Amino acid sequence: MSFTRQVSQTLDTEHRSNLALLGRLEKALARAPRSGGGQDTEFARLAVEFGRQLEQDVTRHFDFEEQQLFTRLADAGEGDIAELLKDEHDAIREVAAEILPLVRAAAESALDDAGFERLRLGAFEMIERQVAHIQKETMGLLPMLDDLLDDETDRELAFAYAS
Amino acid sequence: MKPAAGAFLGGAASRLLPASIPFRFFGSAVVFQGLAWLALMAGADGLPRFVGGLGWPLAGLHLITLGVLVMSAIGASLQLLPVATRQPVRSTFLPLAIWWLYTPGVAAVAAGMGLGMPALLAAGAVAVLLALLMVAALLARNLLGARGMTAVVAHGWAALACLGVVLTTALSMALAYVGAAGEIGVPLLDRTSALPWHLAFAGYGFMGLLALGLSYILVPMFALSAAPDERQALHSLGLAIAALLLAAAAALDAGAALGSGVPWLRLLACALGLAAVALHLVLMFRSLRSGMRRELGGSFILVRFAWACLPASLLAAAAITLGSRWPALPTLFGLLLIGGWLLGFLLGILQRILPFLASMHVARGSKRPPTPGSLTDERALAVHRLCHFAALAGLALAIVAESGALAALAAGIGAVGAAAFARFYFKLRRRMAAAAPRADGARELA
Repeated sequence: MSFTRQVSQTLDTEHRSNLALLGRLEKALARAPRSGGGQDTEFARLAVEFGRQLEQDVTRHFDFEEQQLFTRLADAGEGDIAELLKDEHDAIREVAAEILPLVRAAAESALDDAGFERLRLGAFEMIERQVAHIQKETMGLLPMLDDLLDDETDRELAFAYAS
Repeated sequence: MKPAAGAFLGGAASRLLPASIPFRFFGSAVVFQGLAWLALMAGADGLPRFVGGLGWPLAGLHLITLGVLVMSAIGASLQLLPVATRQPVRSTFLPLAIWWLYTPGVAAVAAGMGLGMPALLAAGAVAVLLALLMVAALLARNLLGARGMTAVVAHGWAALACLGVVLTTALSMALAYVGAAGEIGVPLLDRTSALPWHLAFAGYGFMGLLALGLSYILVPMFALSAAPDERQALHSLGLAIAALLLAAAAALDAGAALGSGVPWLRLLACALGLAAVALHLVLMFRSLRSGMRRELGGSFILVRFAWACLPASLLAAAAITLGSRWPALPTLFGLLLIGGWLLGFLLGILQRILPFLASMHVARGSKRPPTPGSLTDERALAVHRLCHFAALAGLALAIVAESGALAALAAGIGAVGAAAFARFYFKLRRRMAAAAPRADGARELA
């Protein structure tokens, strides 16, 4: 999948690194033992990355899309898609808020078995929601941006997002 | 221009039929799958050398083709095609009328075949015929109003044309049975022509082309990849159509051997069919390889197996054409085409698409709808997969060994698999209802 706009390319790069992280997390959770997983140092390193992704990337990425892109999408008559994507952002934020304390505890290898089980369920939900969401953005939103943004707007938005 | 899957995903939420419409077709298919295996079990003695004729093997075959494959195809095309081709939801009356006509029609056809009652078979065939004519009208309306997705739409038109041939040949054969029983009716076509036409245009034409066409939307969507090259998809379709036309001409014996004694037309049809399939599979594997999502779950084990069975069925057809004297081959060919390719592919795709559709329905007006994964009973699906593969392997062995007992055992395992699939389906519906008691967002439909 290749995109011509800088904004689309940047978001696509973030999606890809996100999917790679979620893939590693999915495998690690599937492999993790029922007992002691929350104290595992290898899993703790992954939890640090996952926590950073939830705290920073999700917020920054989602805010940018909602403030700069969804509005343009709605103006172009694609309000249905913008609304659907915004609803998915809200659901993902809600799951992120629920599991973030557990992810932080796992990052410090200080999560008990009950907490680890809650984290496992929440993380699987997060993985599924994020994959489905990225699926829609990659195939719906990003190709549309190629038509929606002109060169100058694309440059301005890409610069604003990078700064 | 939005890629195919993008348009599909983007517009899906606002173009959904009330859940009760597509799901009644899928639910019926789930029930008919169980009945099909039971019918095959009842006709196990005749199954290993089955090549046609009234009885429970024929009933089981049609419970799979009409009851599972076509039933699901109707549900899927009613829901997926308007979404994929960006069209509004129209009247819900016609889909409901189709279901009410088609479902008892299939039951009557199967019972008529199994019990050897031509009158019941003919009555069921008339109901099925009328329902499928209505399906054809709906499909044509959707295709006429379609925007974009040239390859998918072209596959749809080709499948529709094949449906016309299937209905004509089916009616002809049903009338032949009635005529043979001393009741009214005469065949429209000679059985020796009607049967090969029916087989080719139903298996590779109507159902096959629908499956290939919808794959160009669904596979990239699951794998998160770009839409396959449209020109190559159209080339694959062109080869498939040429193969079907040659097979039809060969069945009429229109210069089939070209005076040489070699069935050139049939062989050429097989070769073109293999070329069409090879090109399609290249596009599919390219899509999977370039996809951002590599882990596609258990459902794709079934899909990959089905993809292997499709060219294998064409090779078996070529071997039969070349005059193979192995008596098991014609029945094995049917097993590869219907059980391996069409049923395997459909069940694999249904495992993905049903939870996806269910979550889309529940998502309406819900802030945090359940995910497709949370609606899926993975254990039931794993049991189903295991039983499905074991049943097909058992049937293959039964055909080779000409063993009715082995066929009965294999069909029994298939029935257990069908029960596991039914558990997955009804659990999904229960979870869907629990997540959103008014998930339809519309009045209840009769």
